[in-house]
Amino acid sequence: MGPDVFEELREELGIGSPWEARGDGRWVEAGDLDPAAVAARLLAREARFVTLTATPTSDGGFRLLYHWDLGGALLSIAILVPGARVASIAAVCPAADWVEREVRDYYGLDFMGRDDTPPLMLREGDERALFVRTQALGRDADPADTARRTGSGPAAQPPAAPAAWSGEPNAGGDDDPDNGGGPRR
Amino acid sequence: MSPVIPVGPYHPALEEPYKIELVCDGETISDSRITVGFNFRAIEWLAERKNYTQDLALVERVCGICSNVHTLTFSRALEQLAGVEVPERAQHIRVVVHEAERLHSHLLWAGIACELIGFQTLFMTCFALRETVMDVLEAVSGNRVNYAMNKPGGVTRDIPDPAAVIAAAREIGRVTSEQLVPVLTGDPTVRARCAGVGVLTREEALAWGALGPVARASGLTQDMRRAAPYEIYDRLDFEVPVRSEGDVLARIVVRALEIVESCRIIEQALDGLPAGPIDCGDFLRIPAGEACARIEGPRGEVFYYVASDGSDVPTRVRIRTPTFHNMPTVALMVAGQQLADAPLIQASIDPCYSCTDR
Repeated sequence: MGPDVFEELREELGIGSPWEARGDGRWVEAGDLDPAAVAARLLAREARFVTLTATPTSDGGFRLLYHWDLGGALLSIAILVPGARVASIAAVCPAADWVEREVRDYYGLDFMGRDDTPPLMLREGDERALFVRTQALGRDADPADTARRTGSGPAAQPPAAPAAWSGEPNAGGDDDPDNGGGPRR
Repeated sequence: MSPVIPVGPYHPALEEPYKIELVCDGETISDSRITVGFNFRAIEWLAERKNYTQDLALVERVCGICSNVHTLTFSRALEQLAGVEVPERAQHIRVVVHEAERLHSHLLWAGIACELIGFQTLFMTCFALRETVMDVLEAVSGNRVNYAMNKPGGVTRDIPDPAAVIAAAREIGRVTSEQLVPVLTGDPTVRARCAGVGVLTREEALAWGALGPVARASGLTQDMRRAAPYEIYDRLDFEVPVRSEGDVLARIVVRALEIVESCRIIEQALDGLPAGPIDCGDFLRIPAGEACARIEGPRGEVFYYVASDGSDVPTRVRIRTPTFHNMPTVALMVAGQQLADAPLIQASIDPCYSCTDR
């Protein structure tokens, strides 16, 4: 695929910055471009959606890298989002459905234009933005603990194991009905 | 009201948890809903809190079967960031292990598919061949899984006996060509069970971003080894099997033919194994910047994005596995199909839930 194709595409998408051609594909900073419009143009050229990399920025927004494959060339198109809302591309690009749900689970980013955004890695009813909430608790906080928290309350503890599993010499034992009454293994 | 058949998250036939709810109209599936995330380990989060050496061990554990592709893709992203050239001998060794892992994965999957079809003898053939590959991987790396072969800048071990690996690849290629492929492509039982079942059209595969053998069984031709060659793939002679039917049978045939091609690749990579170092020395620093890497894993394109601020801990690690894109296509494949075909259809994408959940 010749360089003209990428220049044509850049003009078509209305991106002012030039592509940066590197060993790992072509990169471009596209400012606040509408990702749905970009998706529609790329899909018309039979480009394949690779994935979306969301990175929170220090001002409370996000840098979204939309990765596309165009005839074997990897295009990484960076879009800056000032807040926690961005246009969804899932309606025009079904391949983005799970990625948007995953990004919402991790970072709480809302994808506008979707009928709903059910959780993917989290469960129905879980608080979203797992990584953002965990980050707020400190660098070494554990997302597993955060997932069990509701609001600002303490983390709920998982159910305790039965006493027979504790490994204590006298816990359970051969006569314990929970241990099947047989020898311990 | 249509009955809903829930399958999973825990299933006696699968070691990994996932759930599919099948809405049925009699014996016909009219709709489905897939739930994943039961094996979510926040690996991206963890990777952004460990140093690059620790991350190499971490990403190897994204997947139990295709562990090598994760260290390879991660290493390639770091090499891109650091501007490092991997020595020629290391590239050959990487390709050998990469293809041996593909053989291991495809033969495991082919065996399971044969069992689901009800073809027990062929299941035994596949697993016997797989055992040969496992022996090769153990002889090369010391491990049957989690080979720890890749590191940024090269590989950790040389191949002690290339002739033995060539002999094993030839034998696997011969048995696959003479026994496996003819049965999988021509046996009336296999055809009756798999032809026309669980169809994914080319348009659907493209729209949903299907990858690897799933995409190539639906007429999409892309294979990263050919489309964006890495290591020494641009110098190797191999075919990329493609089918247009988009059904379970096409997915089986594509993988079976890929087994033969992987054997050819291993032979070529070892025949031309050059002398020289297997790594480029110690990495002193990963400079600030960002990089992507993609390779063709057994299930399709594996994608990594790594961002660095110049310290020894990455600021962002993004991992996109092939099953993450292939899994949603199961909902399209099962619609309108018989309930009894659902296990075979979902298995036909060779799903990896650990990879998907990360």
